[in-house]
Amino acid sequence: MKNLSLFKIFILLFISNFFESLLAPFFIILNIIVPVTFLFFSFIAYNSRTNFNAITSFVLGIYVDLISDSFFGLNAILFSLSSFVINSYSNTFKLFSYLQICIFFGITSTFYIGFLNLFINVQNFSYPVLFVSFIFNTFLCLILSMSKFYIPNLSINKRI
Amino acid sequence: MARVAPTTGSKILYLLCLIIGSLLLYIDINYKIFEGVKNNYKSALITSSYLAKSLTIDPFVYIYELSKLKSTLIDENKKLKRELDESYLSNFIISRETKFFSDSSSIEKLLDFYNLDKVFHLSEIKYFDTEKYFCCDQHRLFIQSVTPSKKNFTGSPVFNSSGIVGQVIYDNGIKEVMLLSDSTHSFPVFSDDYFCNASGTGSPGLISCSYSSLIWPKPIFEGQKFFSSGMGGIYPRNVYVGAAKNIKKIDDVNIKFDIVLATDPLKENNLAILENQ
Repeated sequence: MKNLSLFKIFILLFISNFFESLLAPFFIILNIIVPVTFLFFSFIAYNSRTNFNAITSFVLGIYVDLISDSFFGLNAILFSLSSFVINSYSNTFKLFSYLQICIFFGITSTFYIGFLNLFINVQNFSYPVLFVSFIFNTFLCLILSMSKFYIPNLSINKRI
Repeated sequence: MARVAPTTGSKILYLLCLIIGSLLLYIDINYKIFEGVKNNYKSALITSSYLAKSLTIDPFVYIYELSKLKSTLIDENKKLKRELDESYLSNFIISRETKFFSDSSSIEKLLDFYNLDKVFHLSEIKYFDTEKYFCCDQHRLFIQSVTPSKKNFTGSPVFNSSGIVGQVIYDNGIKEVMLLSDSTHSFPVFSDDYFCNASGTGSPGLISCSYSSLIWPKPIFEGQKFFSSGMGGIYPRNVYVGAAKNIKKIDDVNIKFDIVLATDPLKENNLAILENQ
């Protein structure tokens, strides 16, 4: 994947945050939280050719804090941590299977939800929500990673 | 090309970012100094979406209405709808006397005190973060008065046709309303001789109370009706709030229960702001 410009990432994060806010009321009924913005950021960091800078992650986190109306610094910390972990394991990921990588992202998204809930939803903190979200997010990542094998357009374009 | 694992320098940079992030988080939670920035962003977002809508969608809607040659009828219809909403809100207390008031004398007092023909301002919901409403502790909505007013409504109670919704906490043209179910909100309620400061639970449509059976030996039962007590001077007295549910014993003497709110902020687009006396 090509490295996206920072401006494009800002726009894409805004769109993903918009979708997250649209989907969240429906998913929460099923005890599921899908952190679309975080997963999208993780995907960009994972697919980037070069390492994501700490300051870039931090600034993107602050930006997400602003657009998602969270406490300032909350997403900044989590985005910085996420990019650090992804950068550290970027070469190890090549030895992993898709399933293992999906489980990794499922775990990081669960950590993200748990940490976020500790600050913005502490009165309704629920382990079942975390557990169900972990399973759902892992499967979501798995479906998305598998999609490139089953959607012919993607593979043809790549060959071209 | 292989990606290089973080070097010591970049690790220090990450650590620095984490420390700054934690510091910002601490400052925001304890001192709320970024509230202004967030509110400005929200105001800008609402205004730009309103402008974008009025520049893109509204002209097409207008042309469509014009092509149908019913514009006069549509305008008349809108005007009537607004008048209907207004009269519905003004009559809400009178029309629900038996439901909303614990005794008939209180309505007379309230009508005299508030002079209800003039005290409310019809407003519309401009933005409601339903994601936060369903998932998190922070339950806020943003409203704007239908008729522009220079008055500052900070602290004024807001209601829809089914009762109290919350109170205005920030007024900068677009008003931010803290809903009753917001976890930082406190709402004085009563039932018979029992009084409590019901706090928001962070769950939609629920507030909770706790009491000691040593102070109130009379038990609370499921479905017991609760009314606003008027203490604190924000909300009018004797307005029906909701019914008790999920009564739980915390220990031998302390009991906690939820109150299912009678109002649903998602139900209507029109709200009324009572002028703060």
